[in-house]
Amino acid sequence: MGTLSLRGVRKTYGSTVAVDDMTIDVGDGEFFVILGPSGAGKTTTLKSIAGLVDIDGGQVSINGVDMTGVEPYHRNVAMAFESYALYPQKTVAQNLASPLRSGRSGSFSQDEQQKRIDAVTSTLGIHHLQQRLPRELSNGQRQRTALGRVLVRPADIYLLDEPLSHLDAKLRAQMRAELKQIAQSSSTTTIYVTHDYQEALALGDRIAILREGRFVQIGTPEEVWRTPVDTFVATSLGQPEMNLLPGAVRGGRIEFLGGAGSFPAPADLGLRDGQTVQLGIRPSELEIDRGHRPGGDRWLRLPGRVLLAERLGRQVELDVHVGDGQLIVVEDSDHAAPEGSEVTVQIDLADVHVFDGASTAADDGEARVHRAAPRLGSALGRHSAPMPEEAHQ
Amino acid sequence: MATELKPGQKRLTPGAIFADIAIVAWFVFALFPILWMLLLALKNDAQQTSTYFAFSPTLENFGTVLSQRGTDLTSVDFKSAILMSILNCGGAVLVSLLIGIPAAYAAGRYRFKGSEDLMFNMLSFRFAPELMVIVPLFVIYTQIGLFDTVFGMIWVLQLVTMPLIVWILRSYFEDMPEDLEQAALLDGYTRRKAFTMVALPLVRPGIAAAALLSFIFAWNNYVFPLILSDTAASTVTVAITKFLGGGGQAYYNLTAAAALIGALPPLVLALTIQRYLVQGLSFGAVKG
Repeated sequence: MGTLSLRGVRKTYGSTVAVDDMTIDVGDGEFFVILGPSGAGKTTTLKSIAGLVDIDGGQVSINGVDMTGVEPYHRNVAMAFESYALYPQKTVAQNLASPLRSGRSGSFSQDEQQKRIDAVTSTLGIHHLQQRLPRELSNGQRQRTALGRVLVRPADIYLLDEPLSHLDAKLRAQMRAELKQIAQSSSTTTIYVTHDYQEALALGDRIAILREGRFVQIGTPEEVWRTPVDTFVATSLGQPEMNLLPGAVRGGRIEFLGGAGSFPAPADLGLRDGQTVQLGIRPSELEIDRGHRPGGDRWLRLPGRVLLAERLGRQVELDVHVGDGQLIVVEDSDHAAPEGSEVTVQIDLADVHVFDGASTAADDGEARVHRAAPRLGSALGRHSAPMPEEAHQ
Repeated sequence: MATELKPGQKRLTPGAIFADIAIVAWFVFALFPILWMLLLALKNDAQQTSTYFAFSPTLENFGTVLSQRGTDLTSVDFKSAILMSILNCGGAVLVSLLIGIPAAYAAGRYRFKGSEDLMFNMLSFRFAPELMVIVPLFVIYTQIGLFDTVFGMIWVLQLVTMPLIVWILRSYFEDMPEDLEQAALLDGYTRRKAFTMVALPLVRPGIAAAALLSFIFAWNNYVFPLILSDTAASTVTVAITKFLGGGGQAYYNLTAAAALIGALPPLVLALTIQRYLVQGLSFGAVKG
């Protein structure tokens, strides 16, 4: 149990800035997820908290105590390394016993140690592997052992560095649920680093999106999903990625897709005539119009033709040609339109994000990272957040 | 169709045959001096300079070298010279390990101001010719009473062993993932404990290799014991050459026998230490 606060933390490696101006407050028992692409500084952040790297500026406090100059073994934090970092000459059980035997996480009798190890290995499904050496384990089993070495001990803060990344999909979903349960029952403050947006949305009480060593947005899963601050955050969440469509203001309306789509420009966004914008539309929030939605101004309707339909189990991913562009649409496979058919796709205007148009090509990855366009609001205006939906992808 | 080759079976081409012949020729060329020394060691005094491959072999030379007669011939007790070599070289390796392992760890893990210069300086002991420093060393040794003492020999031989041990082990420590010791720190162990508990066991093969190699280098050293010792602390390399005689008859056969005996201790050490030289001990520590 513990609180964590970072104040303007900065870490450089030579001339490379790994982490800069990082400020967060994590409450007691909170499950805080840091989401970002590789190289964004996620691991450096964790190691700065653990005291494994010396930060160049700012302050790390645990339970309100400044941790500057405090050795890692006095911080009472546990960390699961992305590289596992298991002791190769020790068995799984000995690896797990290591933090219990050091005497700094509390004193445990032989029986208590074994009880804790048994409990954790059972939860993680590696109970039968206790006497194995790390080299006799698969990568997934090693990763669970590394996670076990954290969960087996009491600590103020758990630091988990991509702890599920090497598990196969089925096990990952299962472990994700396990972790959520463990976090809720143990109520240990957890900092969880991942590049998987689904893990972030599923596990996090709050999510911080990291780009090039800086937090771009911090908020609840709902907030970062509904109101991403810019195109970087918007495209980081969701698979397939959000459709980003260039548009322009003409005569009080925002036109896009070569004029195939348009809607009145919301007055409170302060858009000038002729200004370029980008529209963000999530594939999962688009649907094929089957006449099941009452008409009205809230719905944006776009006529198009299905170019490609990829069946992904329960869902179908459609490439729909609209105007002079393409939209990715994710539909339930029950009412999927066949390839080549003419359809109308529709979306609630509240779900259409309007971004600044400064950044150009939507499919240029470089530009998207370095010149992410800020979000101005939704198609209904600055303050009109999209309506909550019962299920999102 | 060409007949299918079994695994390990080689295709008979002119190039492959030529390569095999070349390899055999190289082996004969490279190993001939050792063979010649073996033959020489088996010859008696009368035949040592007058025969090539046809002679009446005898094992007597080995007995002579190790007996009182050998001592009389050379004024050096060969058995005690071997003991001295073991003492001197073992001592030098031990001192170098005690100081060199922590030094190698520091050099491999931490970059501090001048650390590269320090390492290079240490390596430069290896390229500096020993003869360059031997005269001042001799003067110093005689003045402070280290001449012909085991302590003095250990001190000078660690100049040979230390750079090797530090440089070899540094690369072992560098190759070891830092995450391992960091995990130990977060498990609640101090830096010293993390070193002894995690890092040290993993570089055992490196320690074995470095110790063996530096022992052989120290064993083979000739100039330092020749100049800095007389009879009390003199080593096997010096004792061997004494059989060549100082003005009297040169006993090439005894020299060869002594050299073969003198090569045995490092050989035995190499064979016993071999099992620690296994690689891949850290396999499974981090994802590969």
